[in-house]
Amino acid sequence: MTARIKSVCIVGGGSAGWLAAAVIAARHRAGTEDDLRVTLIESETVGILGVGEGTWPTMRNTLRKVGISETEFFRECNVSFKQGAKFSSWATGAEDDFYYHPLVLPEGFPSLDLASYWNQYAQGNEEVPSFSDAVCFQEAVCERGLAPKLITTPEYACIANYAYHLDAHKFAQFLRKHCVEKLGVEHVIDEVDDVVLDGQGDIAHLMTRKGGALAADLFVDCTGFHALLIGKALGVPFRPCGDVLFIDRALAVQVPYETPRQEIVPHTLSTAQKSGWVWDIGLQNRRGVGYVYSSAHTTKEEAEAELAAYVGPAIENLQPREIPIRSGHRETFWKGNCVAVGLSAGFLEPLEASALVLIELSVEMISAMMPATRDTMEITARRFNEVTHYRWDRIIDFLKLHYCLSQRADSDFWNDNRDPDSIPDSLREQLALWRYRAPGDQDFSSNNEMFPAASYQYVLFGMGFKMDLSDRSYVVRNGARADEAFRRNVLLKDKWTRVLPKTRDLIDKILEYGMAKV
Amino acid sequence: MHLVELSRQDHAHLRIDPARMAEQAASCHMIPLVISEFRRAIADFPIMLAKNQETGRFSPYAVMGLAPGENLFWDGAGLDSSYVPLNLGRLPFCIGIDEDETGAPRHAVCVDMESPMVDDAGPEGLVESDGRDSAYFGTIQKILQELLSWKPRTDRFIEVLAERDLIRELRLDIVLKSGAPLVITGLYAIDEDRFNRLSDADIAELRRDGILEPAYAMMLSTARIQSLIDRRNRAEAKDGAWFQ
Repeated sequence: MTARIKSVCIVGGGSAGWLAAAVIAARHRAGTEDDLRVTLIESETVGILGVGEGTWPTMRNTLRKVGISETEFFRECNVSFKQGAKFSSWATGAEDDFYYHPLVLPEGFPSLDLASYWNQYAQGNEEVPSFSDAVCFQEAVCERGLAPKLITTPEYACIANYAYHLDAHKFAQFLRKHCVEKLGVEHVIDEVDDVVLDGQGDIAHLMTRKGGALAADLFVDCTGFHALLIGKALGVPFRPCGDVLFIDRALAVQVPYETPRQEIVPHTLSTAQKSGWVWDIGLQNRRGVGYVYSSAHTTKEEAEAELAAYVGPAIENLQPREIPIRSGHRETFWKGNCVAVGLSAGFLEPLEASALVLIELSVEMISAMMPATRDTMEITARRFNEVTHYRWDRIIDFLKLHYCLSQRADSDFWNDNRDPDSIPDSLREQLALWRYRAPGDQDFSSNNEMFPAASYQYVLFGMGFKMDLSDRSYVVRNGARADEAFRRNVLLKDKWTRVLPKTRDLIDKILEYGMAKV
Repeated sequence: MHLVELSRQDHAHLRIDPARMAEQAASCHMIPLVISEFRRAIADFPIMLAKNQETGRFSPYAVMGLAPGENLFWDGAGLDSSYVPLNLGRLPFCIGIDEDETGAPRHAVCVDMESPMVDDAGPEGLVESDGRDSAYFGTIQKILQELLSWKPRTDRFIEVLAERDLIRELRLDIVLKSGAPLVITGLYAIDEDRFNRLSDADIAELRRDGILEPAYAMMLSTARIQSLIDRRNRAEAKDGAWFQ
């Protein structure tokens, strides 16, 4: 059996579907006879969920690689900058309780382990700034509402590392236009009435309402929570992780700005509540706000009241949209000639914006490993599943880290989150090691890591975690070099907070003048 | 700088000393150009692109120094160049843009009253005794007219280069005769590799749009960078001799 893989059919026209189409087409279509045929079919009646609005910095590279102009992206998708996240009320719930998970690595990282020095200096010394502020200039930039670059900085380049906040509906439309007009993706609008399997259990074709049978060699399931192919047709079970991550509901609203010139916050705001947390992301024209909570720990009415208290008077005219969340993922992501990407593969609360980045990583891997024949597809599928499982596990660990270190005791939601039985073994082991040394690259040695050790440092020390270095003073014997790095950070903070423009001012300029490619 | 709109009543007796123009250029290392003067400018200067700090957009410049504030053509008395860019020749006048009653843009000739060139003892006036414009002011008006009429075509020139991805940053890594290293960033040139790969059809299009001649002028003008370095080395050698 050496059937060649000559066509890919992507089912679903949300962010996942169009990102898959763009990445696969950009690599496998060059205007030759050998080109892979890339088709995307989407339903006219099934809408897209469209709440994935925060990205990782990886999105810059993804967009650049598929040939998109960053200026156009800003103009078409209400895009703003995201320089990491500010976590408020997570550690103690006190008024002044906040920390940052910025996108710029700690000064000197990874050759210099500033975390150990900071841990040493901060013991019993109130004067020492927070970890994220002491080792990284980006918090100061964010606190002042500044953009991560200048109008003279080329497209996709930066002064401070950044990702995006975007309008998911517009993003899907924008990608569609690019895919159809520039990348030669065939676009079919039709309903999928049936998924027809062959004798081997592969998907032979889709039965569509208007166009009849739609066959392909590889199918990409981007049908969202419906999981039409991977779940309904192929019966791959879902593996829930609600025993680790308790969030199972979201209440989402779109909050207009009070004035058209209101400042845009250049990072995600994540504010802990009694039974979950509120996300708040700034686009050009509005904010996207939502309360994700655990229905086992509160009622919808209480949750609505907490969301209303967060949003303020503007909530009067808004109707929160309730979205049920089932945390977890498929037991297998690639089965036979079908691979699931996006919500059909799984879902986790948007705490670290893992949805879009998992889509990017998955489609990049599918595209790079695109099997040439049906029989080698088995090898590809096995590798894809292995790596993707690893990634989901790491994300689950990292999300749980935010909860299990909290000292909040104002509700069972927080108490239950500290229950050792709810913490994955892999995370418990890491935490045991980090009692005596800082997270480092040695803890994250796979080529397929999701979060660098620096991210764990930001959350760990942001949450008030203390290391015991009492009998290992030799790890901080290079004080002069550390002091130099702390000083350098002070200088960088001073320099960039003076030079960088306000976020809305830069976005206005991007819309008017555009960014140069070089 | 104190710009006021020029009027026959208020400025009939204004006197100008053109000889002091170069003083104003003494600390300028880049002077903006329009494409009509590229041909003349390459007699002396490399023509490079640089970004406007407010808009991020490219404009072409005659490069006169290797660092901000340095003009290697200023010899203490005048400019040691055979060509004087229009944006220096127009001084102390410029064109101001505002709106008329209908909101349409209106161009007006302005003068910088704080320029050292505005001098009661200056040899040139704007109006002759019979009320006609002086020959000097006629020349100024011609310069302003050329700048105004070539500005849109210069913008278009830049647009075409950017659209076709023909611009690249030119990072200069220089070691001066004194041994001192000098790194220059922020200057952009035409990407010659990409330019030379353009198809015949593309070249024909560029020729038709009047892009070809200024593009070649820019590419050939990079040879003038060496003249700038030579001037810098000579200046340093002179300073060195002075201190020994």
